[in-house]
Amino acid sequence: MLSYYLKLALISFKRAPSLYFLVILTLSIGVGLLSANLALVNSMGSDPIPDKSDRVFHVSMNTWPDDQPGAEPMHILRYRDARKITESGIPEHSAVFYASGVYARDAESKSLTRYDSAVRATTPGFFPLTQAPFAYGSAFKRSSGMEVVIGDDLNQKIFAGANSVGKTLELNGELLTIVGVLKPWLLRPLFYHATEGRAFNATDDIYVPLETSIDLGWPIHARSSTTEENGSVGNSRDKNVYYLQAWVELPVKNNLQAFQDYLDHYSQTLKDAGEHPLAIRNEIDDVNSWLLKLKVVDQKVLAFTLASVLFLCVCVFNASSLLLSRFHAGKFEVGLRRAVGASNRHMLMQGLMESVLVGLIAGVLALALSWLFLKFSAKFLPDLSNIAVLEPKILLSGVLLALVTAIASALYPLYRASRYTISAELK
Amino acid sequence: MLNMNNISRIYRTDTIQTHALRDFSLAVAPGEFVAVTGPSGSGKSTFLNVAGLLDNFDQGEYQLDGVSVKGLKDDELSRLRNEKIGFIFQNYNLIPDYSIFDNVDMPLRYRGFNGAERKRRVEQALEKVGLASRLNYLPSQLSGGQQQRVAIARALAGEPKILLADEPTGNLDSLMARQVMELLHKLNEEGTTIIMVTHDPDQAREVKRNVQVIDGQISDFSIYAPLQPQSSAGEKQELSHA
Repeated sequence: MLSYYLKLALISFKRAPSLYFLVILTLSIGVGLLSANLALVNSMGSDPIPDKSDRVFHVSMNTWPDDQPGAEPMHILRYRDARKITESGIPEHSAVFYASGVYARDAESKSLTRYDSAVRATTPGFFPLTQAPFAYGSAFKRSSGMEVVIGDDLNQKIFAGANSVGKTLELNGELLTIVGVLKPWLLRPLFYHATEGRAFNATDDIYVPLETSIDLGWPIHARSSTTEENGSVGNSRDKNVYYLQAWVELPVKNNLQAFQDYLDHYSQTLKDAGEHPLAIRNEIDDVNSWLLKLKVVDQKVLAFTLASVLFLCVCVFNASSLLLSRFHAGKFEVGLRRAVGASNRHMLMQGLMESVLVGLIAGVLALALSWLFLKFSAKFLPDLSNIAVLEPKILLSGVLLALVTAIASALYPLYRASRYTISAELK
Repeated sequence: MLNMNNISRIYRTDTIQTHALRDFSLAVAPGEFVAVTGPSGSGKSTFLNVAGLLDNFDQGEYQLDGVSVKGLKDDELSRLRNEKIGFIFQNYNLIPDYSIFDNVDMPLRYRGFNGAERKRRVEQALEKVGLASRLNYLPSQLSGGQQQRVAIARALAGEPKILLADEPTGNLDSLMARQVMELLHKLNEEGTTIIMVTHDPDQAREVKRNVQVIDGQISDFSIYAPLQPQSSAGEKQELSHA
C-alpha cells in the first residue's frame, strides 16, 4: 500500500502545485531559520573535550592584596599562586598559561615576511590536559628552553604543511626551534581561554614554554591586573601581577577535595601572613560549569532561537490552514474512497505519506536555507564565522524537524477529514 | 442478504429533528432486484446510505449478509463496504484525472490484492461492461453512458454480494439509460442482488420487486405494476414480508 499512497501523494502534488509549493516553502523557511539558530546554539553549547570535561577544572583564586568586599575569585592568578598549583602534585596534569602575540618567520628563509601569530605561553602540562593533537614531533618537556610547538595554520603558512620539526623560527627577533606541529585543531568553545569573549576564537599559532616567554618579556594579550606601578611580564614573577590562567586535571573525586583543601590552606597561609584581607574563596569549575558560568552561549542567540521556535509555530499554523483548504477541496475523493472501502486508517496513512513527502522536500530546502542563513550571519557578524557550522546532527535534526512539522501541519486537516460523513461528501 | 428492522435515522439541528427513516423495515433476499421509489425527500437516499453503510442509523437492527452492523468499528464497516457492497452513483463519481483502470482499481487497492489479481479483476469487470479496450482512457474521454458503465465496473470488480444503485440513469439520455438498465438486468440474471433507487416509473416496473418510501417509511409495495407477466400481486406481497 505504501507505493500506492506515494502515487496518490504525487498525484495530489500535481493537482495543486502552487499550494504545495507554498506549504513546503512556509515550512522550510521556519525550519531553516530554527536549524540555523540551533546550529549556533549547538556550536556554542557543545562540550569541547567530552572525553574528560568532568575531570578538567579551571582554578579561580582570591588572593588580591587589597580589600575588595564581595569580590569574586579572580580567573587570573599571580605567578607565585600559579606556581603553587603546579607544585601541588595533586593534579594528573596542570596547565598555567597566558596569551601573547609575536611576529613569526622561518629563520632560514630568505623571505622577510612575518606572520602575526597568537601565542600561548604555557607549562608542558597544557598538551596532555587539552588533548592537543600532534601531527609531527611532540610537546616541549620543560617550562623553559628555546623550543616551540606550532599550530597547523602557521605550519601551512610558513612551511606549506610539511614536517617542520627541527626548523627554527624567528619570533620577535628570537630564534626558537620547533619540537612539535599540531594537526588542525578546532576547539568549540575554546574552553581553555573562554574569557574576554574569546570562546569561539581559533586555537593558537604558537605554544611556547611559560618561563621562556616571561624571560623574553612577550607581552600579555589578555586581561591582566596589577597593584604594581611596573606590571610588565618580565618582572612579574615576584610581583602582584595577575595574568595567568590555571587548569588542572583531577582524575579521581577525592583529588578534587584534596586540591580544594590545598588551595584553601595556601590562601589561609597568605591571609595569616597578612598578604590579603579577603575571605578564603577559591573555586574550581569543570569545563562545562566554567563555560556555563561564562555564559558562552550568547543570550541574544538564545532569544533569537526562541523567536525562531515561535516563528516556526506560525509557519506550521499557516501550512495547516493551506492543507485544510486542500483537504476541504478534496472531500469528494475522501468520501468516494471511504465508500469503496477505505477506512479512516487508510485515509490517515495516505495523508501521512503526503506529509512525509512534504516534510522530506521541506527538510532538504530548509537545510539549504539554513546554510544560507549561516553564511549571511558569518558575513555580517564575523565573530560567528567559527561557530556558524551545520554539523551532521543538526542536518539530521533539521530533516526530522521538517518531517515533524509537516505531519503536525496535516494533523488537524486529517482529523477534520476523518469526521466527514461519507454520504454527505458524495452528494 | 439485507435485513432491516425498525430502522430510524434522525437528523438533528439545534432546533429541528427530522426523521429521515422511521421504523423502516425491509428484507431483501439474495438474487433480488429491488426498485425503491418515492417522492423527493421521502428517505429513499437515506435508506440507500444506511444500507450501504455510508451513514449511521439511530435505532433498529440491520444485518448485511448475516452480519449485524450495529456497533461495528470503522475498520470493520469499511471492510464490509469493500467486500460486500458495490455502489453505483447517479453522477458516476469517477475521479477525473485517473485513468479508467485506476478508477476501477480503487476498491481493490483496499482489499489487499496483489497487482496481478487486481489487473485480472479490473480487466474482467471492464470486459463485462464492454469497455475492456478503454483501460487507459480518462473519464472525460468517454460518454456519460460509458462513464456509468465504468462506475458499474468499479462496483463489480470486488465481486460484491449486493449492488446499491442511486438513480443510476438519472444523468443519461434514454438510449444510454436503456443500455445501463440492460446491463443491470444482465448482472441480476447472473445472480447479483441489486437495490436501485429511481424516480423513473418505467424502470421501476421493469424489475421484479418495487418498494415505495414515503415519509421515511415503506408505504406501498405495489404502486408500479411490474412488466413481467409472472409477477403477481400476491407474489409481491410475499416478497415484501420476506
